[in-house]
Formats: sequence, structure tokens, C-alpha cells
Amino acid sequence: MSDLPPRSRGVIALVEENCTSCMLCARECPAWCIYIDSHQETEPASGPGRPRTRNVLDRFAIDYSLCMYCSICVEVCPFDALHWSPEHGYAELDIRDLTHEKGRLQSWLQTVPPPPALDEHAPPAKEIAAAEKAARNRPR
Amino acid sequence: MGEPSVTDLAMPVVGPPALGPSRYVVGGLELTVHGVGLACCAVEFDAAVAGQSGLEPLESGGSDAVPVLVVAGTVTDKLAPTVRRMYDGLPEPRYVLSFGSCSNSGGPYWDSYSVTKGVDQIIPVDVYVAGCPPRPEALLDGLRRLEQLVARDRS
Amino acid sequence: MTDWGERVRAALDRDVTLDHEPLAVDVPPQSWLDTILAVRDSLDCRFFDWLSAVDEADEGFHVVCHLAAHRPGSVDHLVVRTLLPRTDPTLESVAEVFAGAAWHERETHEMFGIEFTAGGEPLEMEPLLLPQEFEGHPLRKDFVLASRVAKPWPGAKEPGESEATPVRTRRRSRPLGVPTPDEWGPRDV
Repeated sequence: MSDLPPRSRGVIALVEENCTSCMLCARECPAWCIYIDSHQETEPASGPGRPRTRNVLDRFAIDYSLCMYCSICVEVCPFDALHWSPEHGYAELDIRDLTHEKGRLQSWLQTVPPPPALDEHAPPAKEIAAAEKAARNRPR
Repeated sequence: MGEPSVTDLAMPVVGPPALGPSRYVVGGLELTVHGVGLACCAVEFDAAVAGQSGLEPLESGGSDAVPVLVVAGTVTDKLAPTVRRMYDGLPEPRYVLSFGSCSNSGGPYWDSYSVTKGVDQIIPVDVYVAGCPPRPEALLDGLRRLEQLVARDRS
Repeated sequence: MTDWGERVRAALDRDVTLDHEPLAVDVPPQSWLDTILAVRDSLDCRFFDWLSAVDEADEGFHVVCHLAAHRPGSVDHLVVRTLLPRTDPTLESVAEVFAGAAWHERETHEMFGIEFTAGGEPLEMEPLLLPQEFEGHPLRKDFVLASRVAKPWPGAKEPGESEATPVRTRRRSRPLGVPTPDEWGPRDV
């Protein structure tokens, strides 16, 4: 696996904790191959705050028999819930098994490599300089 | 008008002539791989049979080699009868491996007016290899699954 | 106006438009064959690139032909265009002028429903890319992609909605251009 190029697109892994069921990936997918079901849950108010509602995923499935590995879902996700993994050996005898449900998509997370290193000759990111400056100026 | 249409041409193998039906050993099983290279998946299939992914070529294939039809690429409604005829022309026991999203289900062209939504609409498929296009190593993985299936059928 | 544009204007006695590359000239349908002949013979455009159509809704169909003249060190392009009425679109075939146009006209005929004639008689055109039993003209703008009507759009659900708990919302998002099964599709007779 280590001889594959970085950012190779083999299969998509899901981080369920990050997903808010915003539906952006399902709407942008050109192959209509992402199926999402969710419901709303209300958490009672803690202390003086008001009750909070949040979306809970019931179903998140990607049909890899339709998927064209275009990356649009991974790029559009505002919460980084989808990640590429270079795993490619998941042939099936039944086409229905090519639709990976939530559990299987999460298990692919173990195969997601760390992001490629930044170019060592690139200027440092502005966020790093800003954070260091804020740390220096923090009142003691 | 007198000109032959695509469906009239009886081609036993579609693909680069230099890479005709190829005989391989996969896990102890001798296979004759007939590649139906219809679109971009044909390039990855050709890379696989050209020795990029660990398939061991068989020098003198015996008559016991099992024929496998690998459909790699988009099947259009116009070409579908030809693919069917290719399948019918193979001796039994014969197996079909669908390579890539287009032959699995129509893939990115699932909504097209001219694309067959998966080659399993016209021929029975034994193994589906996912990808767009799948890596050559994925073909090897698919052929290994097929080998398990063939071994099970033989016992 | 470039030299090439001037030559085209002089040879065809028509205005040329250069809104964007390449140079384009609009002709009425009855001058189609004569214009293509003049472009080949008087302007030396011996290279036929492609011929196709554009569905312009109520305006009709534009049939567009791209021709080129190869000269040492350069290529001169010309796009010849004509407008056909939407009902009964008919045009003379230019397959006698450029043999390669025959297949392009076959494709334009099956995709848009445009009739091509030779000597006043409509040509029998066998489908090139579509199977024999195909009904309809797929590249017309009113041709509906049936798969998109039949398959429910996964993005139609709102966040927090599932099959079990549908959400009542006035905004029913649908993908662009896809009619609902109520508007289009097979009807029980």
C-alpha cells in the first residue's frame, strides 16, 4: 500500500461524529449514490440554557457500483466527515454488497493515511504566525 | 445503406489486438481472460494483463483453462447485443467479471439515454469490481474472488 | 476585421460575426448547400471538422458546420450556421460536398430529428449511435432523462428527515430540469 501515490482514491471513509446530516454531499453527488437518513433529537436544557436540537444519522450509505470517485462529496463536506483511503480491494459477488452502510464506511477509517506533508520550502502558514503572536501577547 | 453496423461485426475479442485472450494462473487456477475493453477501464485492464499487478502468465494454457469475460467499460444499448453474443460464444463453464462502475451499474452515465445500466442487464455477472477506473491491483483482487467461486463450483 | 474575415465577407457577400473565435457566418436554409460549396471552392476550406445542431427552443434549430483551411503555418477557421423552424426542420445534405459529413448528418438526424434532403427528396438515414428501436430525439431540450424521474433524488430529504419521519416543508428541492413522476412518465390506462 505504501507505494501508492498520496491522496490515492480507493474508498471513502466516514467520521460519523463530524456528520451533521447537512445533506450537501448527497445533493452534490453527480451519481446520486449517497443515501442519508437522519432524525432530529432534542437535548434538554443544561442549566439556564435553552434545549438544543441536533441531527442524528440513521443511515449513511455510499453505493460504490455507481460512485465515480470524483471527490466532490469529500471536498464539499464542511465538517471533514469524509476522507479518502487508498484501499481498493473490495470486489463483491453480489452488487448489493457494493453499497457500504455506515458501519462499513467507518471501518475504512483505519486505512485513511495521514495527510501528505506540507512542502518544506513553502512559507509558514499565517495561522501559525498569528497563534504564536497571540501566545506571546497573552497577559501573564 | 449497405455499411455494416457495429452489431454486425462478429468480434470474438474487443481490445488491442496485441493483448488478445490471455491465459493466467491465479492461485492455482488456470484462466483464459477475454477482455472486453469498451472505454477508459480498458486502459487499467490492459495495465493489469501487461504484468503490472502480479498476474502470472501461463505459457501453454491447457484446454482446462476456465474462460472469464472481463467487461471493462461503458456498455451502450447499441453494443449490448454484441457483448451478449461474446458471452454466448464462450464454452461452459464460463464466468463474467464486471470491471468498473460503468459495467457494474451504468456508473456516471446511470441517467444516460444510450447506456445499459450495468452489463448484468444482459449477461449474468459473477464478480463486481468497484472503481472508476479500478486499479490493476483491484482486478487481481477480483480474479482471486472469482477463483474462490470457481473452486467452490467445481467441488 | 482580419484579412480572413474580409475574404469570407467578399466571397460569400454576407456579414461575418466575430463575437468569439472562430469566425461565423449566418445563412438562410435555402442557401446552405451553395454556401458550403462556395466555402470549399472559393475559400479553399478543404477540411470538414464537424456538423451538428443546437436546440434553440421556440426559435428552432441552429445547424452548425465547422470548416477549416489549412495553409502553410496557419489554419483559418469558419463556422457556417443556419436556423431551421422547429416544426418540420429540413435541410439539404452536404455529403456530396464533404463525404465525411454523412455520418455527422446521421447523428444530427437521430439526435435532433432534422431531415436532410438530397435533390429535394428526404434521405433515408439509418441511426448511427442509437439502437434501431429507440424512440425520440435525445439531444432536444425537451427530452426527459427517464432515469432521473424514476430514481428518487437522495438529496430531496431535508437535514433531520428520513424515510420514516418525512418533514413537511414548503420548499421541495428537486434537481434542475427533472419533472416529478406526476408530471411525466407512464400512466395507468
